[in-house]
Amino acid sequence: MSRTQGQHLRIRAMVYVAGEPVPLFWPMRSFIANNPLHGLEHLPFAEAVERGVQLFHARGFLPRRTYQDYLQADAVDRATLSAEIERFVAARAPLVGIDLPHWLMTLLTRIDAPVMRRDVITDVAADVAADVNGVLAALAGNADRDAAPVDAASLIPDLRNRLLGDRPIYESIDALCGTTITAELNDLVIRACLDFFDEGQSVWVMPDRELGFFRAWRNVAGGPVRALLDEIEASEARAGQALSAEMVVDHIMRRLQVPEENWIGYFTREIAQLHGWAGFIRWRASARHYHWSERYRGDLVDLLAVRLTLALRLLNKRIGAGLPATSGDLQVLIEDAPKLVYLRHELYTGDVLPDMVQRVESALEGRGPATVDALFDDYTRAKRQVEAHAQRDRLHALAVQVGAELDALDRDTLSALLGTLTEFEQAEGMIWLRAMEDRAMQSLLTGLSLAPAPPREKRPFVQAAFCIDTRSERIRRHLEAVGDYQTFGIAGFFGVPVSLIELGKGSETHLCPVLLTPKNVVLEMSSAVRTEQPAVTSLGHAMHKLKESVLSPFVTVEAIGLLFGLDMIGKTVAPQLYNPWRGQLHAQKSGTHLLLDKLSREQADSILRAVQRAIIVEAAEQELGMEPEDVNDSLVRALREAALGHAELAAEVIGALGVSTARAVRFIDRLRDNYRINAAFMNRQMEELGRIGFSTDEQVGFVSQALSSIGLTRDFSRFVLLVGHGSCSENNPYESALDCGACGGNHGLVNARVLAQMANKPAVRRRLAEKGIVIPEDSWFLPAMHNTTTDEVTLHDLELLPTSHLVYLDRLRTGLTSAARLCAQERLPSLQGGGAGETASVDPAAAFRIARRNAMDWSQVRPEWGLSRNAYFIVGRRDLTRDMGLDGRAFLHSYDYRVDPKRRLLENILTGPLVVGQWINMQYYFSAVDNERFGSGSKVYHNVAGRFGVMTGNLSDLRTGLPAQTVLENGRPFHEPMRLITVIEAPFEHARAAIENVASVKKLVRNGWVRLLVIDPETATVCLYEEDGGWRRQPHGEFTDSDLSLRLCTA
Amino acid sequence: MSTAIYLLAALFLPLFPLSMAFNQLAARTRQPLVRAVLLLIWPQLGIGLIALAALPPPAWFRVWALVTAALYAYRAIALRDVGLWIGFIATSAWSLVWLGGAVPAELALQALAFSAPLVLLSLLTGDLERHFGAAHTRLQLGLASVAPRYALALVMAILAAVATPVFPNFFTILATISSPVAGGDMGLSPLVIGSVVALVWLLWSWSGIRLLQGIVVGVGRERAVADMSRARARAYAIGYLILAGAGLELAGVLL
Repeated sequence: MSRTQGQHLRIRAMVYVAGEPVPLFWPMRSFIANNPLHGLEHLPFAEAVERGVQLFHARGFLPRRTYQDYLQADAVDRATLSAEIERFVAARAPLVGIDLPHWLMTLLTRIDAPVMRRDVITDVAADVAADVNGVLAALAGNADRDAAPVDAASLIPDLRNRLLGDRPIYESIDALCGTTITAELNDLVIRACLDFFDEGQSVWVMPDRELGFFRAWRNVAGGPVRALLDEIEASEARAGQALSAEMVVDHIMRRLQVPEENWIGYFTREIAQLHGWAGFIRWRASARHYHWSERYRGDLVDLLAVRLTLALRLLNKRIGAGLPATSGDLQVLIEDAPKLVYLRHELYTGDVLPDMVQRVESALEGRGPATVDALFDDYTRAKRQVEAHAQRDRLHALAVQVGAELDALDRDTLSALLGTLTEFEQAEGMIWLRAMEDRAMQSLLTGLSLAPAPPREKRPFVQAAFCIDTRSERIRRHLEAVGDYQTFGIAGFFGVPVSLIELGKGSETHLCPVLLTPKNVVLEMSSAVRTEQPAVTSLGHAMHKLKESVLSPFVTVEAIGLLFGLDMIGKTVAPQLYNPWRGQLHAQKSGTHLLLDKLSREQADSILRAVQRAIIVEAAEQELGMEPEDVNDSLVRALREAALGHAELAAEVIGALGVSTARAVRFIDRLRDNYRINAAFMNRQMEELGRIGFSTDEQVGFVSQALSSIGLTRDFSRFVLLVGHGSCSENNPYESALDCGACGGNHGLVNARVLAQMANKPAVRRRLAEKGIVIPEDSWFLPAMHNTTTDEVTLHDLELLPTSHLVYLDRLRTGLTSAARLCAQERLPSLQGGGAGETASVDPAAAFRIARRNAMDWSQVRPEWGLSRNAYFIVGRRDLTRDMGLDGRAFLHSYDYRVDPKRRLLENILTGPLVVGQWINMQYYFSAVDNERFGSGSKVYHNVAGRFGVMTGNLSDLRTGLPAQTVLENGRPFHEPMRLITVIEAPFEHARAAIENVASVKKLVRNGWVRLLVIDPETATVCLYEEDGGWRRQPHGEFTDSDLSLRLCTA
Repeated sequence: MSTAIYLLAALFLPLFPLSMAFNQLAARTRQPLVRAVLLLIWPQLGIGLIALAALPPPAWFRVWALVTAALYAYRAIALRDVGLWIGFIATSAWSLVWLGGAVPAELALQALAFSAPLVLLSLLTGDLERHFGAAHTRLQLGLASVAPRYALALVMAILAAVATPVFPNFFTILATISSPVAGGDMGLSPLVIGSVVALVWLLWSWSGIRLLQGIVVGVGRERAVADMSRARARAYAIGYLILAGAGLELAGVLL
């Protein structure tokens, strides 16, 4: 391996490592909830949050004022706050004369803003920040005149730390010169990404995209950028080697004089600047069978090469202005002129003293060093004084609330107090979070029932398996209330990973959690007669084409703009009347069947032969000019055998072809190479065909596992509903975020149909009976779809329903409709701004109508709340939670440990559904805590980008998280951000062993990404996994008494 | 004698470089009320002197005024401090009064029409300085997000200051452009003068928008500040309404 190759591999490896903390971003067609700090899950939660906050310039916890509101609303456990404070205090030396717990509790509950300042500039220039002497002097009502002047040299380490290291050079230049290179650079990179990664939105696409991101971009780059790249190529590229992205990255990093030990950190900072785009590129580069990435390749190294090139170009443009252009230059500047650097930093980061802003600006505008020196002394003195007074004021406000006198404190005590307050405010977020979680745990545990289910006299009218999604909890509760329904919770893909080839589409859609890759393909087929496309649909397509071209919109608006106006009025004024009518004008998807059964080898071989025959006939006509009647079956067979290498090219065959031997041999070669009639390709095709359908064994396995995992192994009802879910809304790029996460962000109906079809097969049932799962003949598995926006549950595949069941359909439909209406009534107040937990003010029918309108209204930014307020993941019997309303906050996975002695089912639940639940929970957490950075801001400003994401305005980073309308209400969190409280109902050792066996979940639990409770029904105890690594056991009954409520954090 | 009077008047209806005196004074005056009084009184002194001269000013004075107006409007673009900006815009606007006609009463009215919105802005700037320490774009105030009432008041005040219809200075500018005096004795075509005045107006708007962009727009640094009280916001709103009403009234007088 040459040195160059080695260096390129090193660059690749470094970029790979640097990209790890950036979360993957899936295209929004199948929105996948993901923990924004997924790349940091190897760290404990608190540590990861701190790192994420630095990396993404975001907030990791809510502001104190919001937590205080939660405390007022009894959503925070005050006792836990006290316990946490006690624990904090116990770990420190006591402060004489100070009731520290009282101070800290007052700070948390009665002061709504931080007392100790923790911002950038204080970190940069600790020497300039208020010190104890300054605060003491301020307390005494005068300035700290004895304070020594600030030694500029003492600022150098802070400035170096802040401006060098892994910080991109242009960011430092912006901070020192007031330039906007970072913003300009981001804009240019976004444009490049939009051009290259477009997936059919643009009419005019970037040329040469087949060459890959970096090379295609280089080909269209403007003159100066291209000249820069030519220059790099001239100095770097070896003979015969094209300029590669790795070469560019290597060259520019050296040119910027960034020490190599900082490269990984530097790359991470670069990549995290546009973490949405970087996450998408990361995902795309690693996605298998993704059409666009297979055609147009691009990865983080390309992105970095583009970014660094543009950054260098922008820096070069400004070198004339006397700015440092390399890390080395900047280092020299810091060491030679720390006063100047400090003042510049103050001015251009906006932290300058307001009173002196004009003076500082004037001094920095070309005045001499003497002016700067004089100003530095004045400025730092004033700054210290201002900081000291501000610190005194904040401390004084706290002391007043505490009821203490600050004047009584001596210097050492005050110093220790300030230090303690600083540490406490750094740890405060976790304290609030634990106290919120404790309150949530208490309210859950007090409602749980460990009593065994009363015996049933007869089987239920209907058994219904819903997705574990939190939105299913409400409909399940109402369904159970309106009739003899028994419900279960199971991951919405029903344990069957399916790759669907939908009718009329040529690509596969994976209907399972993204953690899994489906092995089996299901084909959707129609038995309906193929009909002409309705005129309106064709007209619609034509309109779109007209809109997309360059000139035609000008004419189109004049000519047929009015039609669009009418459409708009219809959709706006009367969506419930207009939309169904409009829908009828388009072709309706006819009833379809799913091809579920495996093809036999003979069937697959026969299909392949037929395809190859058609190809060979076509090739003979194209290549040799033969007529179809001359290409008879025996000739085709002979050609095929020759191409596959099974037989020699016989003289009769050559004669039949009517060409020379050489030409015939060339034709066979072309059949192999161009028409892919060869053994290798045939094997691949056989493999692909082999993926279609499920073998009987597989079907039995999936049905058995699905039923066992929810504990439904006997007493089957006449109807067993398998209810998938999805949402329906208009004009909503985030629609798939409201669909089923367990189905890869798609509707769950297909999986329900697949499992139902399997479970209804007599052959499968026979095999299940052998395994002890006896499904009576009159039990029918019926797929259904729960529309979470309207709460309607619609039944599917009714044409397959036995006639003996038709008589019960009306009762079933009535029950489902009643439940849907009650559910809509329960949800409506929170959708209408009434806040969570408000009681209904409209009758069920009216609520249902409003919910349906929401689903059709294209101006509705919040058709539903989605999984907002999710807090719990409960694995256990339904009886555990049947008597309590969980307000749509719990993922409910049915589980009966008694049918799972080997813990295999529990481990499956932990591996898939729990991990997906934790991703969802964390996405909601961070989107609620900092919607601008981790969420995606308001939907109102969103525009679809490249058909795979959204941007804010016309140009921004890809918005990766959830929109404000999903997690915030009137600017305040609607979703209560907490870690997922996971409850497993099983004997303690059973549950513990299962967790220990699933490495990914063990990591999440140990690092505190989920809070874990095990409820042991056999001993009636609750075991909580504490963040210090131990288990705390308490009898369940204690949780029912609020005085003895869980004190999780007491030492 | 009259030239000397006009030169003295050029100190109060400031023409460059005599304008530097006013701007120095305005920059040093930190009290909002004093600054407001200064804005009201200063140009009226100049108009008093013009009235004293009894003769129309020489043509070159008007050219000088036009150049001064353009110069200060152009320089205002680079300013980041609202207080300084008020001084520059006042200088630029008052220079235009030299083109406004020969009747002192009308000139006084025009000067007042230019001063009044700046007085309101000056008072608001005083409020901003009290709350935020300064009204300067470098402070990254992000007013719209941290103090929306202040933000709205500032937007309205700047719009008024840059002669947006229907504020009185807008009609004064129209009157200046359409004044029969303009151009007649200056050796310049009315089209040229009108174009320069329009350019000056454009530059005011440009500089005003830059200020708004720096102070109102963007993510504010988290400062614990209270927004403007409702009572004060109402007072400013009444001020803008009065200005707008005065503008409509002035349209009838001047046009």
